Amino acid sequence: MSTRLKLAVAVMVVGGAVVAAVLVARGDASRDHATLSNAGGPAIGIRGLRLKAAPIREGHVLAVRHGRTFYRLNTVSGDPCFGVGFAGDAGSPGSVDCPRGGFPSGGSPVLDFSVYEGTRHDVRELSLFRIEGFAADGVAAVQFFRPNGAVALTVPVSGNVYSAASVPKGPIAGFAALDKDGKRVWRSP
Amino acid sequence: MLERMTRILFCVIACACVAAVVALAQPSSASAGWCWPNCSSYALLGPSTSTYTGCWYANGEVCSYYNNWFNVGMAKTCHPGCDWNYNTTGVVLYGFENHDRIRGRFTSKAANTVYLQPAELSMSGMLRAQVTWYGGPASQVNAGAIG
Repeated sequence: MSTRLKLAVAVMVVGGAVVAAVLVARGDASRDHATLSNAGGPAIGIRGLRLKAAPIREGHVLAVRHGRTFYRLNTVSGDPCFGVGFAGDAGSPGSVDCPRGGFPSGGSPVLDFSVYEGTRHDVRELSLFRIEGFAADGVAAVQFFRPNGAVALTVPVSGNVYSAASVPKGPIAGFAALDKDGKRVWRSP
Repeated sequence: MLERMTRILFCVIACACVAAVVALAQPSSASAGWCWPNCSSYALLGPSTSTYTGCWYANGEVCSYYNNWFNVGMAKTCHPGCDWNYNTTGVVLYGFENHDRIRGRFTSKAANTVYLQPAELSMSGMLRAQVTWYGGPASQVNAGAIG
């Protein structure tokens, strides 16, 4: 390969990288929906978890809503986790999710901890039992919808956390993240 | 030569990732428990999968025997594919069930580990731990529960 050709290839690679970086940096997804500005309160001890190879000893309370505590956790090896639990049992999350690659990211602005319930064996139709979860900066509300696409409930996000005091009856087919203008910026599969 | 070495390196990294996720998904070895398909590997959970043990759904679900479970844990791979954020299109429900109802949380994320205690679902007593296919292609999962 001649020196001129090598130089041309190098210029193309560097140029492509610069263009890609600019496009990524300008994207709303990377800027608004990939951060969680609520760092929570001071570190507290975490107990009651029996997680092999993913021990969690400390965490931060992000919020307490409707009798539920929302935790930002770290394994002893530094991997990020999130958890929820009853507010009356502080420091003892009953549910933990350790998303690989962390949370949030541009393609995953919502970490839903809602509980679903089914009472029929013949159809796979689930309704909400509890609504709660975490949302990235820039997500103003989480909207749950019916199988026909109708909106069942819209829950506001505050401090990167959402929670509802009550749940709507009937089947739920998914949920979506809304920005402050009410525009859907992401939806669950 | 370089291409061969790169291929070997990718293979080693992939094996290490699978081993790490399987290890993370396992419940504490100090307790008796249930694992599916076993305590060291993954299997496909699709619309026709069943453990034929009387689960809530006759198909598309694997479940444990009745027990006073402490928690259920699950890990899911990228099968059949995932994006850069480890999102897949295979949706599963994980949680518990009894004779009256099935409850749980959804996930479609790959390579993450999730844990859930029965009290989080306002359930207690003798329960079955369950993982259920809910939508999309079959998911490759490893599930476990400890008592």
